[in-house]
Amino acid sequence: MQMFDPHVHMTSRTTDDYRAMAAAGIAAIVEPSFWLGQPRTHVGTFEDYFLSLVGWERFRARQFGIRHFCTIGLNPKEANNVDVAPGVMELLPIYLEKDGVVAVGEIGFDDQTPAETKLFEQQMQLALDFELPVLIHTPHRDKKAGTVRTIALVKASGIDPEMILIDHNTEETLPLTLDSGCWAGHSIYPDTKMDETRMVALVKQYGTRRIIINSAADWGVSDPLKVPKTVEAMRAAGIPEADIETIVWSNPVSFFGQSGRLDLGKQPIDQTALWEGNSVLRGGQKPLVEPA
Amino acid sequence: MRSSMVELLESIVLRGAEARAADWFRRNLGEELASSSTRFRAAFAGAGRRLGDQEPSIGPDDLARLRHAGLVTPERWRLAMFARAALLVRALGALPADEHPNFVRELYRRGDFREQSAILQSLILLPRPERFVTLAVEACRTNVGDVFEAIACENIYPATHFADLNFNQLVIKAFFVGIAVGRIAGLKERKTAELRRMAADYASERRAAGRSVPGDIDLVLS
Repeated sequence: MQMFDPHVHMTSRTTDDYRAMAAAGIAAIVEPSFWLGQPRTHVGTFEDYFLSLVGWERFRARQFGIRHFCTIGLNPKEANNVDVAPGVMELLPIYLEKDGVVAVGEIGFDDQTPAETKLFEQQMQLALDFELPVLIHTPHRDKKAGTVRTIALVKASGIDPEMILIDHNTEETLPLTLDSGCWAGHSIYPDTKMDETRMVALVKQYGTRRIIINSAADWGVSDPLKVPKTVEAMRAAGIPEADIETIVWSNPVSFFGQSGRLDLGKQPIDQTALWEGNSVLRGGQKPLVEPA
Repeated sequence: MRSSMVELLESIVLRGAEARAADWFRRNLGEELASSSTRFRAAFAGAGRRLGDQEPSIGPDDLARLRHAGLVTPERWRLAMFARAALLVRALGALPADEHPNFVRELYRRGDFREQSAILQSLILLPRPERFVTLAVEACRTNVGDVFEAIACENIYPATHFADLNFNQLVIKAFFVGIAVGRIAGLKERKTAELRRMAADYASERRAAGRSVPGDIDLVLS
C-alpha cells in the first residue's frame, strides 16, 4: 500500500531511514519546519534550515524514491525568542512562496504565552495571504486547554477549517478538533503522544473522516516507520483496507493538495543526480537508477 | 553584604582547590576580565575542567550563609559551581548595571550544559536577580535534562521571580519529563487554582491514554 507520512523531520534522520521508509511503502512525506532541539541564536541559521528543507533534503528524499514536501513557519517554542523571531517573520513570505511548500507550519502554542499568541495570529494571516493550508502543533503541556485556545484562534482567523490540520491529538482533544471542522493529525510516537493500539481504538470510534496519522519522527527517540506499523495494527484489528488507505494516503493528499503545490507525479530514482555538486553516495557506492 | 558573599564563594574555591588550580583561579579573578568578554568566557568555561567535581569542605556557618543568600542545597555544589558563581558575581561587579542582562544572556547562550546549569543555579546570587527572568524562562524550554533540572530543581529562583504562567509551565514540564515535583523549591507557596487545574488535566490526559499518573501529583493537587 502506498503511504504518506505527513509529519516527519527528515533533516534529523539517516539514509537508512529513507531506505526503510521507501521499502515499507512510504511514497510521500511532509517535513514541517520546527525547532532543532536547541535554540537557534541567529536568524541566519533559520534561513539555512529553510533552504535545506526546500533544497538538499528534498533532493535527498528523491534519491530514495520518496516525494518530499515541507511546511514553513516559526515554531511556537522559538516564537518566544525575541532575538530571532522578528527576523524569521521577515523571511517567511520569501519561503512560503517556494515550490514544494504545502502549508504554513508548524505553528501554534507551546507555553501559551502572549508572544506565541501574537505570532500564531500573524502566521494565520500569512496563510490567508499566501492561500496555504496550516499545520498546527498542539502543546505537550496543558494540551486540552491549549487545543481549546487553538480552535478559538482558528475561528477568529476567518480561515476555512478545511484548510487547518490540528496535530498531535489525543483521546481528549480529538472530539474537540473534529467538532471544529479542522483535520485531525495523530503522531504515533514511542512512549508519548499516541501509539498504534490507541490509534486503532480511535479509528474504530471516530471513523476515517478528516483523520490523519504521522510518525513525527525527529532527533529524539522516535520511529519513522510508525505509519506503516500503524497500518499493520489497523489491518490486524480488521479495519477495511479502503479505510486504511483513506487515512494514510487520500486524507493527507486531500489536505495538502489544497496548496495547489502537491505534485505527486512519479519520479524515477536517479542516484547519479547531484545537488549543487553533492551526491548522497560516497566513494565506491553504486548508484541506483530506475527506468523512467 | 554582596562583596562579602563573593569573597565567601572565592574562599571556598581557594580552600578546596589543589595548588595549581587555585593559582589559575586567583589569576582569573581580576576585575579587568569582565571588560574582555572572550577572556572571561574562557575562564568561565575553564573552571569546569580545572576545578571539576571536587567536593568543597564548608563549615556550618558558611553553609547557613549560603542558604540565607538563596541557595537551596549548597552542600551539593561542587568546586566548579562555586568558581563559576564567583567569576560571574565578580564580573557583574565590574560592569555597568545596564549591561548585566545582556552579559549573562550571552554567557548562557554560548555555554555548554554545565556552564548553563551553573548560571541558572547562581541567578539568585546576582545583583537584582529579577532582571534575569527572561533568561530563566527561556531556560525552561530546553530539552536538555541537566539544564532543566538546574533551573527547576533545588533552585528558589523560579518560585521567587516567575510569573504564574511560567511557573505553572515549569511544574507541568517537571511531571512531563519525570522529575519529582518535590524538588521544586517554593512549590507549596506558588500553588494556585490554575496550577491545580493544569495538574488535574494532565492526570486526566494520562488516564485517557491508559498511562500511569505520577505518584507525586497530589503535591500539586492537594
